[in-house]
Amino acid sequence: MSAVLHKAPAATAPARAARARRSRPRGRLAPYLFILPALVLFAAFKLYPIGWSFVLSLHKSVGGTDTFVGADNYRRLIDDPLFWTALKNTAVVLAVQVPVMLALATGLAVALNSTLLHGRSVFRLGFFLPMVTGLVAYGIVFSVLLHQEYGLVNWFLELLGSDGIPWLTDPLWAKISIGLALTWHYTGYNAVILLARLQTVPKELYDAAAVDGAGPWHTFRHVTLPGLRPALLLTTVLSTIGTLQLFDEPYVLTKGGPDNATLTIGVYLYQTAFKYFDFGYASAIAYALAVLIGILGLIQFRVLGDKS
Amino acid sequence: MNVSPVNTPLGIDRRRLLQLGGALAAATSLAACSGTGSAGTGGAGDKDKASITVWSWLEPAKALKAMVPEFRKKHPGIKVTVQDIGNPAIWDKITTGMAAGGEGLADVLHIGVDYLPGYAEKFPDGLADLGGLGATKYRGAFAPGLWRTVSPDGKRVNALPWEANSAGFWYRADLFEKAGVDAGALATWDDAIEAGKKIKAKTGIRLIGIDKPASQADAANFFQMLLQLQGTFYFNADGDITLDSPEAVRAMKIIKRMNDAGLVSDFSGGWNTMVRSLKKSTVAVHPSPTWFGGVIEREVPQQKGKWRVQLPPAVRPGGSRSATVNSTHLAVAGSSPHQAAAWSFVEYVLTRPASQAKIYRSAAIAPALMEAYDDAAFHQPSAYFGGQKRGEVFLKALKAPSPAFNYSADYARALKVVTDAQTKVLLKGADPADVLGDAADQLGKQTGRKIVR
Repeated sequence: MSAVLHKAPAATAPARAARARRSRPRGRLAPYLFILPALVLFAAFKLYPIGWSFVLSLHKSVGGTDTFVGADNYRRLIDDPLFWTALKNTAVVLAVQVPVMLALATGLAVALNSTLLHGRSVFRLGFFLPMVTGLVAYGIVFSVLLHQEYGLVNWFLELLGSDGIPWLTDPLWAKISIGLALTWHYTGYNAVILLARLQTVPKELYDAAAVDGAGPWHTFRHVTLPGLRPALLLTTVLSTIGTLQLFDEPYVLTKGGPDNATLTIGVYLYQTAFKYFDFGYASAIAYALAVLIGILGLIQFRVLGDKS
Repeated sequence: MNVSPVNTPLGIDRRRLLQLGGALAAATSLAACSGTGSAGTGGAGDKDKASITVWSWLEPAKALKAMVPEFRKKHPGIKVTVQDIGNPAIWDKITTGMAAGGEGLADVLHIGVDYLPGYAEKFPDGLADLGGLGATKYRGAFAPGLWRTVSPDGKRVNALPWEANSAGFWYRADLFEKAGVDAGALATWDDAIEAGKKIKAKTGIRLIGIDKPASQADAANFFQMLLQLQGTFYFNADGDITLDSPEAVRAMKIIKRMNDAGLVSDFSGGWNTMVRSLKKSTVAVHPSPTWFGGVIEREVPQQKGKWRVQLPPAVRPGGSRSATVNSTHLAVAGSSPHQAAAWSFVEYVLTRPASQAKIYRSAAIAPALMEAYDDAAFHQPSAYFGGQKRGEVFLKALKAPSPAFNYSADYARALKVVTDAQTKVLLKGADPADVLGDAADQLGKQTGRKIVR
């Protein structure tokens, strides 16, 4: 280009227009070239598996050969008590753990935003740190802490004169333990997202509320919460997706037990594919999960999203 | 602030939808890590010159490593690298390798009897046919029942047997003595329960340990052994489900009675809990197979002289007291380009009595190779076990006729419903016949196999 310009410093208007026409396709090509690497990677590692797993979900492997069975795997899903158990367990976590965690995160965000708090950055870091911990590492730490006979938590409880709690060996307590682990891990992360949003809420609104005579509760209810709305939607959707895909915590802590009390769709999918070598059925589970996430996500957008 | 993910109504939707899409993609792509490509892409390769890799775990891996220098003296052109993948990590690693058409697999794979039939059936070219490499001539060399395990159709040879573990009854002689119980007089498991009550009353120590909430896949080892002592299993020879047979119900009832009498310690947490229990002496008996002797000696050297071993009591009066409860095998990957060299290594380790005797001396791994038992190592009194000749205890069991238990390709599924049933019995006091009936139904539905009642 620059070479052309030097040769024809006094280019006429039509010539310039022609050059512009010539260069336009090239200009259009450039952005595609730039995103090509990402596109190729996405196609190879996301698009291809997604497409292939759909094909797989329509097949059944018998004696090493795949036979086409149509929607059989999906029909089997409806009739599979373990799939429903996994769904039910996931629903319990969604209904109990996610709201509790988000409420905690909101409270935490407000506290961490308060000017009354000294050493705010230290606290922020402290609450965010669990998020940086490797999932498996913290799973193992929790399993050591919560062990019924040799765990630190029960040792402490017994010092206080109470009986040890069967944290991971009782169906109900196992669910609670998973919830505790999840809350410990993700509350700080959600609090940081909420905190970021909180800092964009204009200070004038608080001043106006104060002038109108609103107390702390009313300020929170009518200024802070509406201000947090988009971030609350984001954290709710992310937590919902995370919960539906829940795998690491139950896999490390309970392997889905005892007696499937903490079996999640993720764990069931893993067992089906990598323990039972039933890749077709596992793919069907994955698709059912994806559809479920899509539906729940849409509902949350409708309910919590901006009405404008 | 710029951390905030939302600015305009339009931006919100697009970004969130992208995130949503990303999550969907992650959800669906996990199951897609499989392929159906043929794994039989390898070949015999140069028999004398190759570099091969071997996958195993812990003690067996160490034992294999120790074999390499002398193997290389005979086969200087073959370089051998033994990798300790760990157990159970090795199963996931082999599975993903097989599913990827043999990509990234080692040349020699150490595989347990619980996984071998599954790999062979689901990945027909995943394992090389050792018959073509010269394995068939060793047909009669191994413990009874094991050839059918490695060569179900009598033609194709999927692997060669390495260790053969017999059911054992490792007990603390000092505790038995304290309670005034004669271990040698225990003829049935009913006797053992009565003995357990006495031991608990005198010493406060429970009889055995079971992973009650089934935190590990092998939580039903004891139940399985009680079945095998009766010559039955989860599947019969035709592959039909026999999960709620009278033998199975009888076995589960024994476990329930033990648990109801407070004789079962909770081993939830698996291996680590079991080792801690050894160190803290929380149970008097480990109804574990042959290999467990090596574990005791290694983990609690300070308890020298306190342990003894015998064959387990029978389930019913006059019933069998011996069963080959499990075995492990060496296979050659179908994708290996050095199958001939890999076979040389397998043959050197598994078919030479001297190799197996050496491994037994260092790692107490009991060989399936019957000829190996002529070595003095199996007939020496063990100082740790109070001068007992423990090698001979298990040799007697190994020589007894043992049926070939059909693990089938659905063993992992069977194990899952069995451990769930056992958990219901141990934690909720469920009725053994009920839960086993349900388990059989569920397994039938999942696998399409017939249930024999």
